[in-house]
Amino acid sequence: MAKDIFVFIEGKDEGVRKSSIELLSKAKGITKNHNSTTYGILIGPKSEEMVDTVRPYPDKLIVVRGDGLDEYRWDTYTPILERLIKTYRPFLFLGPSTITGKDLFPRLAARLGAAYISDATGIEFEGEEALVKKAMFGGKIISWMGINEKDCALVTFRPNSFSIDRPSGMAEVIEEMGDGKSEEAITVLETKKTMEKKVDLQEADFIICGGRGMKGPEQFGIIEEIASLMEGRVGASRAVVDAKWRDYEDQIGKSGKTVSPKLYIGCGVSGALHHTMGMDTSKVIVAINKDPNAPIFQYADYGIVDDLFDVLPALKEELKKLKEQAG
Amino acid sequence: MKILVFVKQVADTEARITITNNGRSLEVENKYALNFFDEFAIEEALRIKERLKDVEVVVCSYGPKRSIEALRTAIAMGADRAVLIDSKDLDTDDPLITAKILSGFAKGDGFDMILCGKQAIDDENATIGPMVAEMLHIPHVGLVTKIETPEGGEVRVDRDIEGGRQTVKVKLPCLLIVQKGINEPRVPLITGVMKAMKANIPVLDPATYGIDVNSCTKEEAKVKVVRYESPGGRPPVKFIEGATAEEKAKRLIKVLKEEARVL
Ligand SMILES: Cc1cc2nc3c(=O)[nH]c(=O)nc-3n(C[C@H](O)[C@H](O)[C@H](O)COP(=O)(O)OP(=O)(O)OC[C@H]3O[C@@H](n4cnc5c(N)ncnc54)[C@H](O)[C@@H]3O)c2cc1C
Ligand SMILES: Nc1ncnc2c1ncn2[C@@H]1O[C@H](COP(=O)(O)O)[C@@H](O)[C@H]1O
Repeated sequence: MAKDIFVFIEGKDEGVRKSSIELLSKAKGITKNHNSTTYGILIGPKSEEMVDTVRPYPDKLIVVRGDGLDEYRWDTYTPILERLIKTYRPFLFLGPSTITGKDLFPRLAARLGAAYISDATGIEFEGEEALVKKAMFGGKIISWMGINEKDCALVTFRPNSFSIDRPSGMAEVIEEMGDGKSEEAITVLETKKTMEKKVDLQEADFIICGGRGMKGPEQFGIIEEIASLMEGRVGASRAVVDAKWRDYEDQIGKSGKTVSPKLYIGCGVSGALHHTMGMDTSKVIVAINKDPNAPIFQYADYGIVDDLFDVLPALKEELKKLKEQAG
Repeated sequence: MKILVFVKQVADTEARITITNNGRSLEVENKYALNFFDEFAIEEALRIKERLKDVEVVVCSYGPKRSIEALRTAIAMGADRAVLIDSKDLDTDDPLITAKILSGFAKGDGFDMILCGKQAIDDENATIGPMVAEMLHIPHVGLVTKIETPEGGEVRVDRDIEGGRQTVKVKLPCLLIVQKGINEPRVPLITGVMKAMKANIPVLDPATYGIDVNSCTKEEAKVKVVRYESPGGRPPVKFIEGATAEEKAKRLIKVLKEEARVL
């Protein structure tokens, strides 16, 4: 079997989710070594702009069009992907471990009877064998999973698992038709969008997270300012969410979201295990806490022991200067 | 109406986990608990029962014998009956096998609705729900935050979607995957705990209900852990020193830019 790779392109608003581009970059690195092809799979693009955005990344781009395909549903997307996989026979199908990825990939794996590994953070090859890296037990253990599958194996990856390579071409576009009629077992009655156009917490490169040490909801203003300066997102500990200072969608940790940004800054977060299990795969972790014995310092790369209300204004000014220098 | 709840017994978050056998196996300290997200599923089933009355809540787990304890917790909360499917030495890393065994049980025992948790906190897969639903050819809804009382062969639920929330109507039978926020799970009353201690929890062998166990062996697993590692422990924290907070902030930015190269 040719070692072709499929990558699921997930849309976001009118554009494309960054994690899809990360996966395309990674896939291309692999297929280059195997003299094979990376296919981007884009179903029901909301705009031609989406097609144009992804085109430079894969070798080929399969665009599936059909009425009703612009919103993701497992009942319409699963049969389309089943057909494409059976036609093109890739050896890997990669997707982002987002709400959509976690909904679609296991369903598709069960339909195909295919190997599936979810929420991975890396993939490496030992000869012909792919080994997939995955965190377990809240990040306390890393496992490397082997795949015993002759046909296509499915893997979803946490956003920010791979870096984006500079695009190097312009993929040939293959147009396919798909059926957007749903099974009618599920009827959507109402959709409420809550965070129009903001960067997703799980996809953000920069997260500044406030804990109980922030003292109150009104103090989050400065954190908001720093987050928007850095084009990142505000996160929160559960203590903060339980106190209703922030919404649940900001919560990082065991009962909240798992994040893996390039830079995480925890402010007045003690670093309880339930919290760190949601952020300890971040690339660089900074902690600001007035207690030098706070457990978060066991996870941090850099620490500042001081009152956060003195540190944050200074930090904001420094970041502002940095941004101005960068123009 | 019959509601089936799938639950898993998992290592407690506080349990010590050691890598043994040159990275080939794990040793888990003997501290286990009912999976955090599955408590919400049990609670939700019980609440539907309280509203509709004529409902049977059946809790089922596939796992080693010790999982009986998690099932007792479910009985103590108020579930009508519990069943353990014994994994014997078949314990698997492959979710397809677990899903096959659970969906086989569901087919045999019957159900109108299946509830399960968002994810098991040990394998962190978030996979079993959609897989079981597919194998049973029924619809599933993920990340459910509200379930209304089923009526006329349908149920209305709220669920999280990318960047928002949605209300949908699903035909029964269906599988709903619940998450935190849907309810506050009850703490079992002492009478419930007493009942659970005495409850007879049957232990089933998957072969007896028509599962082709030969397709569920370790050799048939399509994915398996080759090696365990400790998370590449970070080097010790570098404290940023300085006379004032301003100075520390300035130095932090410098190291983030020049040393860590993330700015
Ligand atoms: C089942 C379960 C699930 C959970 N899930 C989650 C989860 O998903 N996410 C999560 O975050 N938690 C979760 N928790 C809770 C977790 O155990 C902790 O209780 C919580 O993370 C603590 O939040 P915190 O660090 O903001 O508050 P605290 O622990 O109160 O820490 C506040 C910190 O701020 C510091 N501080 C105070 N004032 C200042 C100041 N002026 N300047 C600098 N530092 C200051 C203090 O030194 C302290 O370290 C869960 C708990 C359980 C039992
Ligand atoms: N061995 C099992 N027995 C019963 N239910 C399970 C089992 N494994 C997973 N589940 C259910 O599936 C959900 C998701 O688990 P997972 O896909 O392993 O993250 C859990 O919250 C349980 O409700």
